[in-house]
Amino acid sequence: MRSIAVVAAAALVWALPAAAQPNLEGFWNLDFEQGQAPADMLAKLPSDTVVIEDTGVVEFPEGEYGGLKLKPDALAKAQAWKPDDEMALSRVCLPPSIVYAIQGPFPFEVHQTPELIVFKYEYFDQVRLIHMDGRDHPPAEAPYSKMGHSVGRWEGDDLIVETTHIAPSTITNNGLDHSDKIRMVERYRLSPDGNGLLAIQWFEDPEVLDNTGARFIQWTKQPGQYVYPYECDPAFALEYQAAGEGGE
Amino acid sequence: MRAPPLFVAAAAACVTAGAAQAHHSFAVYFDPSKDVSITGKVTEFRFTNPHGTIVLEVTDAQGRTREWRAETNAPVVLQRRGWTRASVRPGDVLTIDGWASRDGKPYIRLRRAVHQDGRLVGTAPFGEADQS
Repeated sequence: MRSIAVVAAAALVWALPAAAQPNLEGFWNLDFEQGQAPADMLAKLPSDTVVIEDTGVVEFPEGEYGGLKLKPDALAKAQAWKPDDEMALSRVCLPPSIVYAIQGPFPFEVHQTPELIVFKYEYFDQVRLIHMDGRDHPPAEAPYSKMGHSVGRWEGDDLIVETTHIAPSTITNNGLDHSDKIRMVERYRLSPDGNGLLAIQWFEDPEVLDNTGARFIQWTKQPGQYVYPYECDPAFALEYQAAGEGGE
Repeated sequence: MRAPPLFVAAAAACVTAGAAQAHHSFAVYFDPSKDVSITGKVTEFRFTNPHGTIVLEVTDAQGRTREWRAETNAPVVLQRRGWTRASVRPGDVLTIDGWASRDGKPYIRLRRAVHQDGRLVGTAPFGEADQS
């Protein structure tokens, strides 16, 4: 009988933390009027961080990087970038990494268990696994991908996600690319009424940047909705290339 | 006798206030300060991500015909605004308002499309605070 009681008590203790965690499940759509980040979230950022303001509908034109300090090689590469290079069959359906995709104007679904949280993004049909079981990142020689490898933990009511193993891709969608040395840390928090999701995305890339960057991002829960398949069609690039070739 | 032009293109550039709209490098490819309006006959409608495309034959006031392309928001977004693959068909006459391509091509980013009888394609136009 005693052993049963001990087992039952242990099970209760095990169950309590999970039940006490915020529930992020649902369909989240970007807020197109981004508000102010909570001061305590900003205060946790390292001192050399610039908060870049290109979340959602805003995008930087050529040559604008929002205060990120590019190392000389990265700056030269960014300045040599040409928009037409992206409008090619071989490139137009390459998904950006999570570093840029996270702030894009597309919704995502959250599916949550105590051991694993899944972010299912509409943008390029990307799926992200956030391991909550205490594991570490894999060794450096493990595969790199656009979504990277994410581990998460709860810090009070905030979900902290650290991501490594991210394949090189764009940061600001205008020629500034990160390397595979980038490390990203996100802090997610539900709004007091539970209908909003706030996040600070922070990243460092010592091969590309002399400072570190962050974005503040807000989403609103929209019950009853689902992400659509994206199924990117590279033939779009041909339409752009064909423009101007028609008869006059 | 030259036939009167069926479709008159009115491509006007004017300043609009903060018509920024984004996703795939809108700021890089399109000029938010230049509005363009074209009217023409649809020859093709591609309803696939990352962007849909409407191809039109546009005839100007001098009777010259030119092929224009209008890039739409991503169809995943259009679907939430009431668009379907059947919203636009070859042969339809549309007036499309949008933003001019920075490179001067006959290529615009669609803000709204209206049928010849005045029906808006979809349920709402795309504006400053829109997703791609």
